Amino acid sequence: MVCISIDQTALLHSRALCFAGAACDLRTNSPELARVLEALSITTDEAAQSGFHMRVVVDESTVEGAGEPHFRGLHHVVTASFGRSNMFLFDILRRTLSARVSVGVARDYRFWKEKLIPITLGVLGAAMGLVPVHCACLELDGDGLLIAGVSGAGKSTLSVALSEEGFNYVSDDWTYISQSRDGIVAHGTSAPVKLLPDAVRHFQNLRGHRLQTSMNGELAYELDVAEVFGAQVERACEPRWLIFLDRTQDKGAVFTPISYADARVYLNSSVERLPPQLGDAAAMREQTIECVALLPSWRLQYGGTPQFAAKELREFVAHRRQEICV
Amino acid sequence: MTDDRCWHPDLLRRFVPTPYVFGRYDGPNRFLVESNDLEIALNVRQSVIAHRQADRNGGLICKLIRDSANPDDGSEITIVSNGTLRVLYLGTGTILIHDPERSELLGFVARNVKAHELVSSLIPALLDK
Repeated sequence: MVCISIDQTALLHSRALCFAGAACDLRTNSPELARVLEALSITTDEAAQSGFHMRVVVDESTVEGAGEPHFRGLHHVVTASFGRSNMFLFDILRRTLSARVSVGVARDYRFWKEKLIPITLGVLGAAMGLVPVHCACLELDGDGLLIAGVSGAGKSTLSVALSEEGFNYVSDDWTYISQSRDGIVAHGTSAPVKLLPDAVRHFQNLRGHRLQTSMNGELAYELDVAEVFGAQVERACEPRWLIFLDRTQDKGAVFTPISYADARVYLNSSVERLPPQLGDAAAMREQTIECVALLPSWRLQYGGTPQFAAKELREFVAHRRQEICV
Repeated sequence: MTDDRCWHPDLLRRFVPTPYVFGRYDGPNRFLVESNDLEIALNVRQSVIAHRQADRNGGLICKLIRDSANPDDGSEITIVSNGTLRVLYLGTGTILIHDPERSELLGFVARNVKAHELVSSLIPALLDK
């Protein structure tokens, strides 16, 4: 039997970090892991209502990489393992992530960036007033545009095309929403943009990059959007509009208003049901979802290239701004 | 868009129905066993709760899920403790969690673990510090 005590007094390396607006108080026995997480930390002006604790013991005796993910949860506790050496324990009520990982995983920058940080925000977010929504987010001159759509609807390709149209990139798939004094704030993480293989038809600069197997088993390009496409990355913005993407075979673009009720149904489908033990967190999350659902919302039905849709959206935003000014 | 799109896949298996429920009060202490597996529910009721009552350790709420989808991968036991939670892993497929502050024992039991083994060795290893 192996016994591991995650005793924070023995975790001598501490850092005050921030992910998607959520403060993270890290303690670990590994200076290397502290550096990896520090490099991923993003400070924004708009913080979520509260933060979380991260306690990580790095087991120097094993270098085993991240294995197959396995998740389970009951009441206020969620567990995740990535092989037998990498175990994560999320205590949602106490907003704490405790973990034991191998040296191999501690050094794996991509694992933390692409998997563990987004997972942590998804699991503990509910207790921190941070709601994950299945939307891309772009920003133009201070105005945020949330782009919703089921997987495969084209959120990521449109996000890249919009960033080529002058929008600042916040996220392409999952955006984290918190409430602020003045309204709501949309936060991105430093997760890479994920483009499916057929995106190479629209973006010449994908040639030369390799397809990788992503966490859900799909083959995709997972790339740093700033590095590959020269996008300007914004960490947070205030969302003004919510767009539901609907690709059609017919060329053209049609915007149709969406009701509050339909927007709410979609947003609720983005989040996991919470157990009764997390009633306060569920109530806080409901409030935030309500604020997002109250944003002016449209369905964009479009056929054609992502570049075409990006131009249409740019015009749409310009018109909406004129309406506000008038 | 209709309401049938508001679908929540239970990826964490948080909402597996647990029809086998045994409960009793011993003074202020509440004992409750919930499971989706009758054998687990009966064994835990007989063993853990009786033991706990004899020790006057206070109440305990147990929710244990027989998880056929879990990998039964290995026999190594790892116990992780963070000061508030204590977790026992048998491989990665069997996971037992004890929250003493909330008097809760939660867990997923892989298909290769017998109810008798659960109550005679795994739960005592988790609860006996």
